Amino acid sequence: MKKPSNIIKLTPILIACSLVLTGCKTTEVRRVDANQEVALSDKWNGKDSQLVSEAMINDMLSFPWVRDHLAKEGTRPAIIIQSVRNKSHQHIAVDTFLNDLKRSILRSGQADFVASADLRGEIRNERKDQELNASLETQNEMGQEQGADYALSGTINSFVDEQGGSRVTFYQVDLRLIDMTTNREVWNGQKKIQKVQERSSYGF
Amino acid sequence: MKLSAKDASLNSITTQVLKFFLLLATLTCLSACNVTHFEKNNAISLAQKGELTSARTAIKRHYSSQGKNRLLYHLELATYFQLEKDYQQSNKHLTHAKDLLESFYTVSLSETALSQFSGPTYTTFHGQKYYRPLLHVMKALNYNALAIAQPENRPALQDSALVEMRQLNLYLEALTDETGGYNPSVNDKLTNQIYAILKPILAPKALLSNIDYRDDAFAHYLSGVINEQNGELDSARLQYQRAASAYENGFAEQYQLPPDTTKQAYNNLARVMTKSGGYEIELERLKGKIDPQQQNHLSQLTVIQNIGVAPQRKQFNLVLTADHDSKALVMTPIPFGTHAERQAQIQWFQMLFADTSIFDMIQNYTMGDGSDVALGFVTKRLPLGGLWDNAKKVGLIDALQYGARISVTYLAPPKERIKSTEIWVNGQKHSQLHPFHSIELLTVQNALKNANTEIQLALTREIVKAISAQKLLQKTGLQQHEVFGRLAKFATSAVNAVTAAADTRQWQSLPAQIRVAQIPLPTGEHNIIIKTQLNSGRVINQTEQVNVSGQMSLWQTRTFIDAPPQSKSSTSSSIFNLD
Repeated sequence: MKKPSNIIKLTPILIACSLVLTGCKTTEVRRVDANQEVALSDKWNGKDSQLVSEAMINDMLSFPWVRDHLAKEGTRPAIIIQSVRNKSHQHIAVDTFLNDLKRSILRSGQADFVASADLRGEIRNERKDQELNASLETQNEMGQEQGADYALSGTINSFVDEQGGSRVTFYQVDLRLIDMTTNREVWNGQKKIQKVQERSSYGF
Repeated sequence: MKLSAKDASLNSITTQVLKFFLLLATLTCLSACNVTHFEKNNAISLAQKGELTSARTAIKRHYSSQGKNRLLYHLELATYFQLEKDYQQSNKHLTHAKDLLESFYTVSLSETALSQFSGPTYTTFHGQKYYRPLLHVMKALNYNALAIAQPENRPALQDSALVEMRQLNLYLEALTDETGGYNPSVNDKLTNQIYAILKPILAPKALLSNIDYRDDAFAHYLSGVINEQNGELDSARLQYQRAASAYENGFAEQYQLPPDTTKQAYNNLARVMTKSGGYEIELERLKGKIDPQQQNHLSQLTVIQNIGVAPQRKQFNLVLTADHDSKALVMTPIPFGTHAERQAQIQWFQMLFADTSIFDMIQNYTMGDGSDVALGFVTKRLPLGGLWDNAKKVGLIDALQYGARISVTYLAPPKERIKSTEIWVNGQKHSQLHPFHSIELLTVQNALKNANTEIQLALTREIVKAISAQKLLQKTGLQQHEVFGRLAKFATSAVNAVTAAADTRQWQSLPAQIRVAQIPLPTGEHNIIIKTQLNSGRVINQTEQVNVSGQMSLWQTRTFIDAPPQSKSSTSSSIFNLD
């Protein structure tokens, strides 16, 4: 009969020790694969950016505009990214998403990208500098830039539904491709992501 | 064993001496608390003198980025960085603060258990509900300022400002779902008016029932301004609508704001409706609520004046004793500090805890005697009646032999120190700035609302601590010894008194009041002066060359009314113009 009484006496001490140990957990860092999703919250993360860009580009290249352009011009279409506006409730690194888009398109080998306005300005300055300082054989001429055939733009929107510790977040990415000569919208893509986050009211 | 008369007299003297030392220890502890209090508020004093770098150093010395006050570390630094116009750093700290506030949704059971034995100051500070809207507004204004400073990143930074407004909207929607927000009264208006007159007489305690933080009309209003500024007219319309409704249906009354707030929100609503087009029927309905002169197509300049400093939460002490005659626990306040502080503490006690209701008086009369009824104004009695014997059995009565210190927070009554604030444009008086938000009253109401829970928790905690110490003494056997037993009991009471501390932590650098004015101006450079006239007769002038461009420009200033007259920090301002 003595044993159970000892256990009862020890229980609070054990609970206290476990609480103390929980509080004493030290910082731990692990290296994980960049493609592996580590979702700590329902916020937009790197995996979302990668998944959306891949799905969007697959969809974009499956539309007839690429084939039509090749048949008409005989060259791969050149695209410029105008803007992708973040209209969601989360801070999203739009540049990272755009880079994922570019990589997916370039990897497909079916279209080219034209540098953005800021970048073009920097390159032009570099060419001006070359005119003054580089040897004639290595200079790059002005006025030989490739113009974009299509402009890519879009928005990222979100909706949130929340009740107590449960939250459903819905992200919708809309992209469109406009023919720069005719203003025709040759492609319109949409990708949706839904995430559910459950938070506990109490924890140790 | 029966004590001789000499022994009994000696015991009585020993008890008196020990009680004196306990009182001395408590007073020493109280003065120590005051030193800490001064240190904590040193940062805001430095900021008022214009020494913002020193203020940041004081915050870093007082709070840790990883400790239990990490939320305050980030919030305070964010404010000082904003005043220094380092908007990027300010937003970095605000992002940390927001993440922390989100993480505090999950309550730590281990910490709650710890606080039962130690006190609230030993636990992580979780902030107040009203911090989130202010945080989002501050962050959005920082993004707007960055958009002006970095034209190459302007679209992305403008989008970031709007992201903050969307997060604010989500938070306020959840808040109004929880609290019901401010809605038009469905009952008969006359009945409500009569009830409002009689309420203080019939149900004085019920006065505390209507002071919840239910929605934030000011945050909605500013969200409308920022959305309008960025061309999001639909979102601006919704936010102005919510602001007008909240101001009209209770927010203005609860925080003693003038009716101009409601009118201004309706004016803005009508303006964006006109701009968007297609709201002719709604505009017709708004006709009685708006000023037609404000419905012009000039650029608007919104001036936001953050005045003063939020009131300090202070510590107020009570002693809990056991009254053997009336079989009751008695709480008696120990006013401490300056004359004004002592008065405020007594008023706070009488308003919230003292036995001043008829029910309490009858209870005191039936449980004690006539003097208890009179003492009810300066004490709070908790009659135990039949529970007295149980309290004795668990050791409570014995544990309270030297009393137990209970600490709770209180706030000094707000004082209106501002007579008026005027806007002068290009040398001519234009209009007045009206109070659109009172963080001062919000803080006081929040403290009043939590006062009962706070004292109940403090009471339970101190009783648990006293009984635990009593049991420990019994186990050590020290209690058997006459002199050592008393000394040990005194020592444990003193330790408990020292560890009992109220939670006075708060975001101290917030302003006491936010005033707003919106003035239509032609585009171009304007010389704007804000003249803040204090009741003391002092006038604080803040001047800025404001370039009004686009549809909406914002000028935000901070006015420290306690700053020395020649201080460089009476003002700190930022202009936010967007094309």
